[in-house]
Amino acid sequence: MPMADLSRPPLRRRMPGWLPVLPAVLFLCAFFVLPLIDNAMRSFAGPDGGFGLHRYALLLTDRFNLGVIAETVILSSVVTVICALIGYPVAYYLVRHAGRWSGLIIFLLIAPLLTSIIMRTYGWQVLLARRGLVNNFLVQDLGLLDRPLQMLNTPGIAILALVHVLVPYMVLSIATVLQGIDQRLEEGAQMLGASPWRTFREVTLPLSLDGIGTGAILVFMIANGSFVTLVLLGGGFQTLPLLIYQQFTTTRDFGMASAMSVILLAIAMACLYLQLRLVRRQGV
Amino acid sequence: MTGRFALAAFVVAFFGFILAPILVVVVISFTSAGYAAFPIPGWSLRWFLRIWEYEPFLDAMWTSTLVAVLSTLLSCLLAVPAALWLARTRKGWANAVSTFLLSPLSMPMIVIGFSSLFFMTAIGIGISFSALVLTHTVVCLPYVLRTVTAVYRSLPPAFEEAAAILGAGPVRAFREVTLPLIRPGIAAGALFSFLTSFDNLPVSFFFGSAQTNTLPVVMLSYIENQFDPSIAALSTLQLVLALVCLLVADRVYGIRKMMVAA
Repeated sequence: MPMADLSRPPLRRRMPGWLPVLPAVLFLCAFFVLPLIDNAMRSFAGPDGGFGLHRYALLLTDRFNLGVIAETVILSSVVTVICALIGYPVAYYLVRHAGRWSGLIIFLLIAPLLTSIIMRTYGWQVLLARRGLVNNFLVQDLGLLDRPLQMLNTPGIAILALVHVLVPYMVLSIATVLQGIDQRLEEGAQMLGASPWRTFREVTLPLSLDGIGTGAILVFMIANGSFVTLVLLGGGFQTLPLLIYQQFTTTRDFGMASAMSVILLAIAMACLYLQLRLVRRQGV
Repeated sequence: MTGRFALAAFVVAFFGFILAPILVVVVISFTSAGYAAFPIPGWSLRWFLRIWEYEPFLDAMWTSTLVAVLSTLLSCLLAVPAALWLARTRKGWANAVSTFLLSPLSMPMIVIGFSSLFFMTAIGIGISFSALVLTHTVVCLPYVLRTVTAVYRSLPPAFEEAAAILGAGPVRAFREVTLPLIRPGIAAGALFSFLTSFDNLPVSFFFGSAQTNTLPVVMLSYIENQFDPSIAALSTLQLVLALVCLLVADRVYGIRKMMVAA
């Protein structure tokens, strides 16, 4: 029986198969890669127009600048660890116990990701203001304090707000991996006499480490680049994105901002590399 | 059993924490007071009216919508063909291409925005509406790519083979078989892309001018000077938009699958 598609040469033979991917690749090369290269070149421009490393020398030797880089990484790490600690139980509940509620839980996790960051910081500002709901509750209703707490513009609140923005990513990453764990392994452990806690500690937790890893890299990566929360809620942090923002709005030293961007980019690339290795190990 | 009860209580507390600042803002948007405080003294719609009367908000809303629609369209045009190829190919380097196309998601947006501003100025596009759309497309494209690849990969190639055997040309097979099958992926990706663009601040921030001030940028500069509840009303409108989009995405794509998309 003659097949219809043999009667004429298929389109594929006339043009290379990878042609469909070309526009997207070219587009990103033009408007994503080139700007980043252009930015890196600006950071390497010497004072006399040639090549110069003086900005990096300043960034990587100056005490203040090194402190900023360290603070960026530490703040992101703290946020990541808190997200993992809070997010794990939620992910566990979502996969193992939520049942028909799981759709609602996923909805409640994704919906905040789609609300504006301004809305959420605004909400915190109202809740935590000097005469806000939380202070009134602590002072008037509970009588725990005799004076309202200064909560806005403290490091703790900035961390809280960042965790609030980022913890859904962690929950979703862990839940994805938990879902793939063969529950018979846990049943087996319990049948052999392990307590639920020991089963969790020696079977479930080790098997879900990859989920924590993916979530941690994702959260760390986004935390590293976030500045809107820190601009609006303060907290006294000096991080790279915040400094880039300030260089752009007030100091207007664009070369320095470029060099900081390159360092931030380098951290992001390292995260991306780790992420890829982890994903490849999961065999996805 | 107590353990499970404690876990459930923890989850409830967790969502209290997640929802509290959002719900507070929704309530404040209906306040009758001239200041933002919770609980509110009375209910009114005056802050929603204020948005209608305050021109910068309306202009910015229009700009944001236009930017989001155009960059989503452009993202679909670029990402859908790429996704179709990536989902079926067995070429070794396809993985690298896919990583590259998704990589804007992993780069700090402030760096993308900052670099793009100088680059666009250097090539003569400058701080313009087109520059904003192009840069938003960089950030939005990966969302469409991811959902369409996921949907297309889960489909057996047999559908298109059947179309080819029955005599459909590649164009017809695409239009009548492939496209309807991948439509949920396109819809979900497009919704995510639209919302990402509409809410984007770190990129749009660098393109501040009369034609390019998007809603988040205007909201940011407003909130730095004033703290009245009109920001709450705007946020509530934006939330409603996001919820409607999410419910539509759930219908066409399934909320459980969106765990991967988000």
